Amino acid sequence: MFRKEPSEIGKRVLKDSPILAALREHDREGIDGIIRLVEGCDEYNRRVALPRALELDQRMEREPEYFDWVIMREACRYRIFSLAIPESLGGMAGKYMVTGMALAVEELCSACGGIGLALAAHSLGVSPLVASGAMAHWETVLREIVEEEKKGNPVVMAYAITEPSAGTDVEEPEFLQVAKIGMEAKKVNGGYLLNGRKCFISGGSEAKYFTVTAATDRRRPLETWTTFLVEREMPGFSTPRVELKMGQRACHAAELNFEDVFVPQSHVLGFEGDGMANGILIIMAASRGPVGAIATGIARGAYQHFLSWTKTVRGGKRPIDQERIQMALADMQALIQESRGLYLAHSLCGDALFRRAFTHPLFKSAFLLPRKLRTSRAYSAFLNSYYGKSMVNAIFRRFIRDEDITDMLSKASLAKFTCADNSMELISRALELMGVNDSPERLWVEKCYRDAKLTQIYEGTNQLNRLVVYNVEIAGTLKIEVPRPFKRGVR
Amino acid sequence: MIRVPDLLESEEYRILRKDAAAYAEKALAPQAEQLDLNPENQDLRKIISQAGELGMLAALLPESLGGGGLDDYAFCLVLEEIATKEAGIATSLLVHNAALFPASLGESEIPASWLEPSSFPACLAYPCEIRENEGKLDGGAAFAFNAVDSRIITLLLQDQGEISVALVEREEKGVEVNADPYQMGLRAARAGSILLRGAKPLQVFPGANIKETVERILFLGLASIAVGITRNSLERSYAYAKERYQGGKIIIQHQQMRLFLAEMLTSIEQSRAAINRACATPELVPAASAWLLATSRAVQSATDGVQIHGGYGYMRDYGMERLMRDAKYCQMYPLTVQEVLLKILERMEAN
Repeated sequence: MFRKEPSEIGKRVLKDSPILAALREHDREGIDGIIRLVEGCDEYNRRVALPRALELDQRMEREPEYFDWVIMREACRYRIFSLAIPESLGGMAGKYMVTGMALAVEELCSACGGIGLALAAHSLGVSPLVASGAMAHWETVLREIVEEEKKGNPVVMAYAITEPSAGTDVEEPEFLQVAKIGMEAKKVNGGYLLNGRKCFISGGSEAKYFTVTAATDRRRPLETWTTFLVEREMPGFSTPRVELKMGQRACHAAELNFEDVFVPQSHVLGFEGDGMANGILIIMAASRGPVGAIATGIARGAYQHFLSWTKTVRGGKRPIDQERIQMALADMQALIQESRGLYLAHSLCGDALFRRAFTHPLFKSAFLLPRKLRTSRAYSAFLNSYYGKSMVNAIFRRFIRDEDITDMLSKASLAKFTCADNSMELISRALELMGVNDSPERLWVEKCYRDAKLTQIYEGTNQLNRLVVYNVEIAGTLKIEVPRPFKRGVR
Repeated sequence: MIRVPDLLESEEYRILRKDAAAYAEKALAPQAEQLDLNPENQDLRKIISQAGELGMLAALLPESLGGGGLDDYAFCLVLEEIATKEAGIATSLLVHNAALFPASLGESEIPASWLEPSSFPACLAYPCEIRENEGKLDGGAAFAFNAVDSRIITLLLQDQGEISVALVEREEKGVEVNADPYQMGLRAARAGSILLRGAKPLQVFPGANIKETVERILFLGLASIAVGITRNSLERSYAYAKERYQGGKIIIQHQQMRLFLAEMLTSIEQSRAAINRACATPELVPAASAWLLATSRAVQSATDGVQIHGGYGYMRDYGMERLMRDAKYCQMYPLTVQEVLLKILERMEAN
């Protein structure tokens, strides 16, 4: 078990996040679990990410198609692909799923925003499968991820929301209602035919499984928004191109192309039409905090490089000995701590919420059934049936209420745009103070500058995130209402 | 497209602006992306040869010395027009001219060959540290634009001693140029570090105020380039905002987008006013102030421009992210923002 005294990394985590130090007084085991996760990420950074981050970033400007699988394979050792998979399935997501994820992501992104994103985007891809309670696929897909991870083989997932003509529009219910949607999932016998394109999908060219959102009727996107589980092997599916990005290059932003991709009925996650309330919004409520952690990690990385630059001698003097640099360093500390405080407030609140469902005896008891039964065709047929889905949904809804999710969405959105803006401010300031010079640190801070900008854009632009905060906190117009199970009439 | 006419300009300047804009549109716009991605594969001299017709290859030297004889304002407006399409080339031209400039202030005459288009791009090593030892130079500069492609290097010493300017030839023994490992912005002006180890200079000369004169030109030039970048951001963002549909309307109808665009517009106005004023006086402080304003506005405008474009802004295809990288470099050279602020106060105290 964990040593009595926390390690150096542990001490740092507890010092950097006093809220965790306080919590550790009540729940030593739980918090030490998070620390172990961060320790793993720190080791990964030193072994894998830091030695290759700059080179990979530069290489992928010349060869955007290139992908370094080593960064994925090496991550298996630290169980990074299981961060969002419940412990009952052998994953790492315990009672501090969101917080653990956020701190791990901050740690990873402090070395390289791109590598951090490549790993974090996988968990984003996993989360709709978990949050929708699509237990039929847990035994297959999630189990496969965990088992293969143990063997050192990364099985990657990606979440596909953005469409060429709809980015902001597909992340907000009011906007989705009036969005011009290109993709459609047409109901056919036994399932759906998916046609259209998704773009800028992080991890899209590496993933084996995709959680894809699409309207079953393009004229009524909000009412018919649905989440599908798509497999790379499905005929008609392809990833024709990757983008050349300004930063976070280690993770591909790919275009997904669907040409009459047949997705069976069993691969609908949740119910048809649930895709916004019980899909995107719940995921965003959980994931925007960790995106704030990405921004915070990138900022911290930049800060560390900047700090080491200030200690180098330039023209007989060290910048850090100057008052103006000391002031700036204090400002940077403030920005980082403010960011971390916000995303932690969100993630701890999120954990309090999800824990109710994931640690509930009723939920856990499902995993007491013999494995053979759980993987049987009859059991998954039941889980995929209307009653099966409704039952799981009912358990989730029993413990995770709509107003809690709505509140979390607002906290997450607030953390996301604040962390992203803070990150840009900090790094921009660092470059301003460094100027162009021939130090190795400049190259790192410039990379962070390019990396950080994306955090203001993805997971909803910062403008959309501000609107969400307004709509939830002030106007009260955005309320997540997941349709009640067993009350939805015949489908 | 949004046009921002400068009504204070006389007819002469307007014609020059029009010519510069035509040159930028024809010679630079089609290659802007490649000049950023693969500057080493581009024939810079060919691209630039037409700039000679605008008087830009020795712009600041008097016509009696074979130069273009442009005044500061004319020089600035040409740079602005060029930077509207490709800020890296504009920087290359600025640095080239700043490197030739000290020669005209020195006592000896500038070699005739330096005025040929083939001398482009000359490199200005500033700030740099040099020691003279029995007629040989030691020292170097950490970062100098044009270093990689230049044949002539003008070294401008930060602390003035016996000499303040030294000219060396790239091929001279003891001159070492190392390309910057990864230049984030203004990439057509390929930068590098310069190291001198017992290099024999072509010329050295004193000249008490050369440093400030060159600094002033750099400030004015970079401020103008920053205005060009802001204009580019505005043009691209405005065009995109009129096409992109999101949230039930084209995004230019969203108030926040309008504010972003309006701020870009006022940035152009404010920066131009500052540059205009700074051109009217040989003082350093107005030029430095114009640089502070224009570059910080350009950084903000380009960042907002990327934001308006959303995910597309982050991808190279849309040409928006390049502006963000270029703008930041305008703000990081020749000195840092705080160094310039401190310098401004020092100047005030000295007066």
